[in-house]
Amino acid sequence: MATFTKIVQISRAVNNVTKLFTNLVLSQNINSVRSSMFIQSCKINVYAMQKWFKLFRMPTLQCGLIHTTSKRNDLMEFFDDPKNWDKDKVRVGRSWRKDELRLKSNEELHKLWYVLLKERNMLLTMEEIYKQEHKYFPNPERIDKVEDSMANLESVVRERNRAYYMLETGTTGERPVSLRYSPLGLRYRYRLRQYSRPKHANSEWHKTHKFGYGGYAVSKFLRLYREKLWNEKRKSRNRQINRVATLMRIFPNLDMEAVKEQYPLADIEKVKKLRKTDGHFVRD
Amino acid sequence: MRLITTLFGKMGEWSKKYANLPDRYIDRISERVLWRPPPGKPQYLNRKIVANRKLYYSIHRPWTTHFQFQNWILKHRQWYPLEPIKDWSFFRGDRVTVLVGPDKGKQGIVHDIIQERNWIIVQGLNTKAVIFDKRKNFPGICRRIEQPLLVNVQVKLVDPSDLNATSIEWRYTEQGERVRVSLRTGRIIPIPVTSKETVDYKSPDIYVEQAKDTTADDVKELTFEAKLKTFEMDIMDKMDIKEDRIPKESYWY
Repeated sequence: MATFTKIVQISRAVNNVTKLFTNLVLSQNINSVRSSMFIQSCKINVYAMQKWFKLFRMPTLQCGLIHTTSKRNDLMEFFDDPKNWDKDKVRVGRSWRKDELRLKSNEELHKLWYVLLKERNMLLTMEEIYKQEHKYFPNPERIDKVEDSMANLESVVRERNRAYYMLETGTTGERPVSLRYSPLGLRYRYRLRQYSRPKHANSEWHKTHKFGYGGYAVSKFLRLYREKLWNEKRKSRNRQINRVATLMRIFPNLDMEAVKEQYPLADIEKVKKLRKTDGHFVRD
Repeated sequence: MRLITTLFGKMGEWSKKYANLPDRYIDRISERVLWRPPPGKPQYLNRKIVANRKLYYSIHRPWTTHFQFQNWILKHRQWYPLEPIKDWSFFRGDRVTVLVGPDKGKQGIVHDIIQERNWIIVQGLNTKAVIFDKRKNFPGICRRIEQPLLVNVQVKLVDPSDLNATSIEWRYTEQGERVRVSLRTGRIIPIPVTSKETVDYKSPDIYVEQAKDTTADDVKELTFEAKLKTFEMDIMDKMDIKEDRIPKESYWY
């Protein structure tokens, strides 16, 4: 290859052609080195990686000719931009909101999902590497921002699908749910499943799915369980009454509406009559 | 009831404003997980066990290690009486007068808000001397640390027209704007610009877009068209995927 480029240089036919050739050679070298590095090193060291990047990653003419966003379909896509490796703080914006995602077409949402997924993979990888290096991962809330966006995107897609099914079939088109009683007498949401056999022909299902309750033991359990629930409720109401009384005793000009909002179980008129509410100040 | 407890467990709007952190992160970092299923083991249900304890809020914010240390130790905390406030009226950058303590009568600027305790921290006022790093052969370094002040009793807002302390009321202007009005002079006390400041930007309109941010114009662009298709059907049409297999009969139960 080297001799060939020399010949071309001597002839000096087209200067650009030589440039193109040399660049082709360079880019091939980069690829070979990159793949061998990954095979050799099992544990990836951030700083070793960075040094290596400085050595080999040079701008080539190819990139200059075809102007696109940097497309690196290799393992380095799991890592952050090397510029950010030493930074204490990586600044990013906020997550996507539902109202903003509602403006976007299905195709764009589909693409955005993969952008977010790749970003999340990258962040989780970086978090793991920083942990291995015993260093602080800068701005860990980035993961939560991406996850928030992903959850919002999913809910927008679900909203659209639900609208379609409601129009076409009158149902939501989602996995159906029904309220059932467990053998302990507790009500829960049973999520139905899809089977190839009808219910009467599926004997295994009947063995593993028992609904409904009965018997002395279960009714005793339920009695005690309800008593426990009631006690919790009673205690929380008493606690709220006591707290409102304390607040009335301490603060002379309480905003009663705000108190009512915060302590809905306490009966304010009743609390006012308690001895506990008398404060050491004159009330108007 | 559970709804109420969860609502009160959350942080106030103004106390997390400056840090500019998403709620999901704050919840994740402040919850105390006792057990979570080991990774890569599908036989465990994807449920974690979280200590069902109310968080204790002090001057340390939930994203700091101080907060996590304070909440990690299993100490029984007494209930602290807290006057319920409907409209929070102290913002970052407000000028206030301190009514108690060694700095009684002095005016300062609100530096930090802790809504969970009805507290504000006034810059440079109501301080406590703390000696750090004291050793046998070293006397230590003294630092004055601002202590929190209760908003309903210990501070008052300052009227900008005469620079005296005043109590305030929220009222509406003729344009329908909600403003704080001084009860003594009837002047409007404007909400400072610093209240919008976060660690990332001074004000939202001068935020510098970063490399990975989507530009505002791209976000606002409307590309959605209503079609009689589900998301999956639309994507399949766009990618020329044809599905002509007839699904087998199935039963839901």
